[in-house]
Amino acid sequence: MWFMQTWIEELLLENKMNERAFDNSHYNGDTAFRVRIRRFGALVGRLCANPTTVIGLIIIGLMMAMAIFAPWITEANVPDPYQMPRDWGAVRKPPGTPGFLLGTTNEGGDVFYGVVWGSRTSLQLSLYVVGSTMIIGTIIGSLAGLLGGWVDEFLMRLVDVFLSIPELIFALAIAAVLGPSFTNIIIALSMVIWVKYARIMRAQVLQVKQNEYVEAAKVIGDTKLNIYLKDILPNAVTPVTVQATLDMGNVVLIGATLSFIGLSEAGIAEWGVLVSEGQAGIASGRWWASTFPGMMIFLWALAFNLVGDGLRDALDPRTEGR
Amino acid sequence: MNSKKDNVGQPILSISEVTKHYPIREGALQRVVGHVRAVDGVSFDIFPGKTVGLVGESGCGKSTLGKVVSGLTDPTSGSVSYNFNNQLVSISNLEKNKFKNFRRNCQMVFQDSFASLNPRHLVCDIVGRPLKVYKEVSGYDLVEKVVSLLNQVGLGREHLYRYPHQFSGGQRQRISIARALALNPEIIILDEPTSALDVSVQAQILNLLNEIQKARNLAYLFVTHDLSVVRHMADSLVVMYLGKIAEAGETQAIFAKPYHPYTKALMDAKPSFDEGQNSKAKGLEGVVPDPARPPQGCRFHTRCSLATDKCGWEVDDVVRWLEDTPGMFESLTAVERKSEFSAVLSFSDESSAANLTQEMRSEKLPTSMRKALNQVKINEKNVQIEFEPVEEILLREKDGRHTACIIEPKN
Repeated sequence: MWFMQTWIEELLLENKMNERAFDNSHYNGDTAFRVRIRRFGALVGRLCANPTTVIGLIIIGLMMAMAIFAPWITEANVPDPYQMPRDWGAVRKPPGTPGFLLGTTNEGGDVFYGVVWGSRTSLQLSLYVVGSTMIIGTIIGSLAGLLGGWVDEFLMRLVDVFLSIPELIFALAIAAVLGPSFTNIIIALSMVIWVKYARIMRAQVLQVKQNEYVEAAKVIGDTKLNIYLKDILPNAVTPVTVQATLDMGNVVLIGATLSFIGLSEAGIAEWGVLVSEGQAGIASGRWWASTFPGMMIFLWALAFNLVGDGLRDALDPRTEGR
Repeated sequence: MNSKKDNVGQPILSISEVTKHYPIREGALQRVVGHVRAVDGVSFDIFPGKTVGLVGESGCGKSTLGKVVSGLTDPTSGSVSYNFNNQLVSISNLEKNKFKNFRRNCQMVFQDSFASLNPRHLVCDIVGRPLKVYKEVSGYDLVEKVVSLLNQVGLGREHLYRYPHQFSGGQRQRISIARALALNPEIIILDEPTSALDVSVQAQILNLLNEIQKARNLAYLFVTHDLSVVRHMADSLVVMYLGKIAEAGETQAIFAKPYHPYTKALMDAKPSFDEGQNSKAKGLEGVVPDPARPPQGCRFHTRCSLATDKCGWEVDDVVRWLEDTPGMFESLTAVERKSEFSAVLSFSDESSAANLTQEMRSEKLPTSMRKALNQVKINEKNVQIEFEPVEEILLREKDGRHTACIIEPKN
C-alpha cells in the first residue's frame, strides 16, 4: 500500500536528517515516522483504557494462538487435519478420560481436537468472508459514492434487493442451492454480507467528498486516484473497520448455524458441526460434546463484539482530540 | 475596468460574461424545472500584483464565481481566460499540459481552514503535497523547501510534524497560505480567508498576505463580505448582487462615493459604536430574492430605498407585497401571468379584489411602484394589473467606474 511506502521513505529519511545540524532551537527532533507511530500508540492506548476491550483482545489473542499452534497442541489428523479423527473404540467418553481431555462424541470424535482445530476453521471462515466482502463492498460503495448518477442508482437498488432478505435466511438459501460444503458456506456468507460494506462506504464517501480538503487537493492539481487514496478513503474507512471487527464474530455465529443444520461436510472439525453432533446426547446427560464448542462460538462472537465496540469509541473523532 | 490599465499592461486573468446556472430538478424523473442563477454574466480583469475585491452578501454568487475562476467548476457560459505569454486563452477547453500550467499558477485559500486541511495529514504532507504532485523536489530537499515555506508564513521547523488540529485557527490559515504558495503561483484566490478568524488574528493574516503580495508580485482575487477588510486589501472592487455586478471600480473611489445604492447600503450596514450614527444608518432591509427568479430591471429594486418607477417593478413585487399584507394573501387563489409585467390576480371573493384595487391606488403601495403601474382593472373577482415593461439594466461606465444603477448620482 502507498502509505507503507511513505513510511519506509520517511524512516530512511530520518537517518539522513539526524546527521544535519538544525538552525532552529525549538525543533525537538521529531520525524514524521515517529509522530505517526505515536499517533498509532495513542490509539492503542485509548483502546486499552477500556477494560472490556482488553478482555476481548485477550480472548481473541488466545483463540488466535490456539489456531496458529493447533498442530502443536494436538497431533494433526492424517491425511486431512480438518477432518475429525474417529476412534470407534472410545465413543461417548466423558471429559477427563485419559487421552480425551474434553470427552468424545457418539462417533468417537475427540471433542478437544474439534475445539482446537475448529478455531482454525472459524478463523479461516471469518477472514475469508470479512476480507473479501470488505474489499468488494468498499470498491462498490466507493464507485457508487464517487460516480453518482445512474451508476449509484443501479448499485444501490441492487444492494436494496440483497438487504430486503434476512441475512441468515438468504445465506441458508444460497448454501442449500450450492450444496453442503464448508467452502459453499464461505461463498454464501460473502454474497450476503458485502452489501453492508457497500452501504456504509457509499454513505461515507458521499460525506467525505464534500469536505473542502478534497477541493483543495483538486486546486493543487492532484490526480483523481490520488485524491481518492489520500483524502477520501482514509477519512471514510473508519466505520468499515469497526463493522469488519464486529462481523469477524458474527460470521462465525452464522457459519456455525449453517453447519449445525448440516450445510457443511459431515465430520469436519468445525464448532457448529460439533454442536450438532452432540445435541442428540444432551437429553441422555452427555452434555460435553455440544457445550465446549458452543462455548467457543459464544466466546469468539463476544470477544470480537467487545473489541468492535471499543474500536468504535477509540476511533470516534470526538475522542481523538480534534 | 481599471483606469490604470495602461500602466499595468495586460491582465493576467480575464473573466468575461461568466454565468453559472445550477439546474433545479423535481419529481421522480428529475425533470429540470428551473435554474438557480448563481452567477449571471460577470466580467472583470485581474492584473498582476493587484488585488481585486469581490464583495456581496451571502448568496450573491461570489463564492461560486471564485470556484469558476479557479477552474474547480466550469462556467455555464462565458469564459475565464488566462494569460499565456501575453495571449489570453480560455481555460475551459485547454489541452492537458496547458491546464496544468494554469493550475500551478492559480491557487486558492479557503474560508474554513479546519475543513480545507486533511485531518490525517501532517503539515509537511499538506504543504509538501503540491511539490510532490508536480515532482518539483523530493526527499531531504522537499523537507527543506517546506520549512522555507513555513518560515515565509511565520511558522517554523517545529511545526513540520504536527496535525492540523494541533494548531489555532490563524496558524491553520497560515498553513493554507503556505500550501498555496508552494508552487510559486501568479494568482491566489482568497475565498473569505479571514471571516472565520478573530479580529486580531484577521489583521495578522491580512498583513501577511500584503507582505507576500509585495514580495512576489502576486495577483489576488479577494472574495469577502467584509467591506472593511476589502478597503484594507483591494486595489479595485467588484460589488455583486444576485449574480450580477452592481458596481465596479477602484476601491478608493468607490469608498469615497458609492454610485450604486446597494454599495452604499452595504457600507452603511457596518455596525458602529457611535449610537447616534448607528440609529441613522440605513442598513439593508428585507431578504435577498430567490436567485431562481431574479427580479426584472434592476435586481436590487425590491430592497432599494431610492427605487424609481423605471427600476423594473413587476407582478412578483405585487405578490411579495401581498404576502406581507395580512388578510389579502389568503384570499388570493391564482396568478395568471401574461408576462413578467402583466397578470391577472384571481381572488376567492369580490370584496378582496375591490380592496386590492383600492389599496393599489392608495398610499399604501410604495410610491415608485404605483408610478410604474400602467393600469389596474377590476372584473368581478379578478384584478388585471399591468406595469410599464423595463429592459434589463446593464452596467454603464461613469467616471472610469462601472455602475448598474440608472439613477444619476448626486454631486
